[in-house]
Amino acid sequence: MSLRSLALGVLALAQLPLLTAQSPGSPVLIKDARIVTAAGPVIDKGSVLIRNGLIADVGPSVQAPAGAWVIEGAGLTVYPGLIDALSSWGLPSAAPTAGPAGASAGARAQAQPAQPRSRGPEDRPQTSSWVRAADLVQASDRRLDTARSAGFTTAVTFPKDGIVAGHGAAINLGGATSGAMVLDASTGLYVAMRSGRGGGGGGFPSSLMGVMAYVRQLWMDAQWYKSALETYEKNPQAGPRPAYDRAAEGVLAARRVLLPASSRVEIARMITFSAALKTPVVLYGGHEAFRSVDLIKAANLPVIVNVKWPTKERDADPEFKDTYRTLETRDKAPSSPVELAKAGVPFAFTSDGLDSPADLVKAVKKSIDAGLKKEDAIAALTINAARIYSLDRRIGSIETGKIANLAVVKGDLFDASSKVEMVFIDGVKYAPAPEAPAPAGGAPGGGRRPGDAAENNDEVNR
Amino acid sequence: MRLSLFMTAALAAATLQAADNSFLLRNVTVHPVSGPDVSNASVLVVDGKIAEIGAKITSKAKVRVIDAKGLHVYPGMIDAGTMVGIAEISSVRETTDYNEVGDFNPQLRSAVAVNPESDHIPVTRANGITSVLVLPATPGSGRGGGGGFIQGQASLMHLDGWTWEEMRVEQSAAMMMRLPTMSAAASFDPATMQVRRGSYSEGRRNFETQMRTLRGFLEDARRYRTAKLAKDASLKTDLRYEAMLPVLDGKSPVLINAARQREIRTAIEFAAKEGFRLIVAGVRDPGDQLKVLAEKKIPVILGSPYDTPLDDDAAYDEPYTLAARLNDAGVKFCFASFGAQFARNLPYQAGQAANFGLPKDVALKSVTLNAAEILGVAAKAGSIETGKLADLIVTDGDPLEIRTQIKMMFIEGRQVDLESKHTRLYKKYLNRP
Repeated sequence: MSLRSLALGVLALAQLPLLTAQSPGSPVLIKDARIVTAAGPVIDKGSVLIRNGLIADVGPSVQAPAGAWVIEGAGLTVYPGLIDALSSWGLPSAAPTAGPAGASAGARAQAQPAQPRSRGPEDRPQTSSWVRAADLVQASDRRLDTARSAGFTTAVTFPKDGIVAGHGAAINLGGATSGAMVLDASTGLYVAMRSGRGGGGGGFPSSLMGVMAYVRQLWMDAQWYKSALETYEKNPQAGPRPAYDRAAEGVLAARRVLLPASSRVEIARMITFSAALKTPVVLYGGHEAFRSVDLIKAANLPVIVNVKWPTKERDADPEFKDTYRTLETRDKAPSSPVELAKAGVPFAFTSDGLDSPADLVKAVKKSIDAGLKKEDAIAALTINAARIYSLDRRIGSIETGKIANLAVVKGDLFDASSKVEMVFIDGVKYAPAPEAPAPAGGAPGGGRRPGDAAENNDEVNR
Repeated sequence: MRLSLFMTAALAAATLQAADNSFLLRNVTVHPVSGPDVSNASVLVVDGKIAEIGAKITSKAKVRVIDAKGLHVYPGMIDAGTMVGIAEISSVRETTDYNEVGDFNPQLRSAVAVNPESDHIPVTRANGITSVLVLPATPGSGRGGGGGFIQGQASLMHLDGWTWEEMRVEQSAAMMMRLPTMSAAASFDPATMQVRRGSYSEGRRNFETQMRTLRGFLEDARRYRTAKLAKDASLKTDLRYEAMLPVLDGKSPVLINAARQREIRTAIEFAAKEGFRLIVAGVRDPGDQLKVLAEKKIPVILGSPYDTPLDDDAAYDEPYTLAARLNDAGVKFCFASFGAQFARNLPYQAGQAANFGLPKDVALKSVTLNAAEILGVAAKAGSIETGKLADLIVTDGDPLEIRTQIKMMFIEGRQVDLESKHTRLYKKYLNRP
């Protein structure tokens, strides 16, 4: 293991001079394309100039500087690079979070000795609030290729094991090193209201009320910890020092908290809960936002809508009757963004992982068919996500000075026949993976650096 | 101390009464169930059997005369599925005697496990129930209920007697079975904290595997029977196969719990293929099998209507109207409590159904004569007819009404004490200083 990572490190080092020489190199001009800026009206025929990894200029008439590499944009549409607002791309599938918390995946159970069953909140079960996705990013994640092929350039990626899983990071879906991929190392704390029953943890908390009480306690502990530290700092002679509490440290470091809210009852519950937190809240899930928009609007919380819409179970019992409510949810979940847009609630999308690049467009198309305006759909995939995470000064639209994260599409993104021709990430071009991702021997996409390909084949071949 | 004195007295009284199983009940309205009501009539009981009913009794037998002016006589009610007598406190292992382990236990006779001193017996009697079908396993379909495929013999028992032998009306009223189910094991999903159903194909595979096991046992039982009929000297007696003989011969019915359409269809197809007489118990959502039950004249034992519907979208009163729907379709049915401590509520199960479309006379039949017919004891129980056992209740009104009081009870002509733990506690707390 260590030998291997050493070897990879050496490999990466060896390539570094080559990469730095190449990426900021010559400017790129995408000429005479349709430009959906997400920051104003669509430019029907215009150009985008990329230089030093940033958008140097955009408009109907941008001149190509000398030595620029010109891409003829006829028939192409340029979008801001798509952002997946809640992802696990770029992270190892079972993140090696340390400590007694969050032992759920089988892989981890092998890696670590079994933890004693937790009996109460004092054991801090299912918590790894100190884990930071930014520290775990792997440039070699094979899923990045699929994501880029769908037009994604950025993901806000989170550790997801346990109840308080850890801090997310906004990452670009390509870069010379793991570190180069990170846009923001502290996008918020991911919380899942899941039972400690089942999985490796066992024990407390096993019931929903137990989970809720536990998370409340954790936040109170963090507040108490903060004031105890302040008191101690003022006068260390006055009493014993408070013990270092990494769980509380992690909670206090959160700039925002992501709370699960898919069904109406979950949405109502999390809205009530959010009032008790001292941290801004983002709701995620949102499948039943179509029947909860009143609650969300009143609470004024942004929502990350999961576009992996509920479907009929595979291999379902043919004589089992779904309830009307289930059928309605299945039917109307894609109209949730429509209702949110109507109510003026800020929302972004998560693809919740993609099995194939085409899935994203198919899923968002359902919302468009249900009445979502295309510009709202684009905003949800770009500038809205950037705003929710306060990244909108840097990404989310095609404006001068922003990072050159672009998706170049043949035709309109939401046409069934559309095709992502290329994406730019920090100004570096990536071509999509070949169609129909064959499990064996798929050639790496053009424009990828040889080092990446080698790493991929080495690391992630199943 | 006071309690034990009281109980001794009660026992002494019961002994005295037990000796006397002949009497003349006068000035009552007789509700025979098998025919029209007769008012201002008398019922003569001789040696535990109904000898004569009518305005004028011709017999000159010298018996005790009971004047019950203004009261009503009904046949004692039958609960067609209970744990009374074999489950005292279900959570205390020592007080229960059911749910044997293993797939095939036809040799088990629930009658022998019945405790005549069970406190549930007088409590159940207090509401007018004189007989119960004691089940060898917890009833339930799908993944509910006791384990095993052939769970043992269900016995019809009188709720009076010194020993189980005295209580026994029909030891092998039915062979209780549980068929495999097609639904796969559900699992708890910690992420959503909900139960997730297993896959259908896995469920089907399990079903087929288990059915193969069941058919294998039945084939062995048939081979045993063939050998026995051929008087094969080398045949070793096997209690399990012996117990299957009346079932294989079609003399004893199988009682199978089946709540939903598919379970019912499975049970019907299984019984038809094996040539078994079938009683379907615990029907809740029969769907298209309602017609089949009627066509094939398969009787049904219904559980309590005091329940929520199986499906979220069903009408709130679906459990209440189930009996009426069965009746309209022409299915014969009776009621069972399928429990011990709530067996006493049997009359109100029928009463609830009567409030939701079931004709009153059918409701009464469903806790008396229908039960007797379904359990094969109509020749001696279930109605007030000459020659039948004198299992009678004397009431001040319709026994399916909650406010009606049971004034007297006779089981095989013996007047039975109507005191119970409930009445004892009632009196005790009434006198609390």
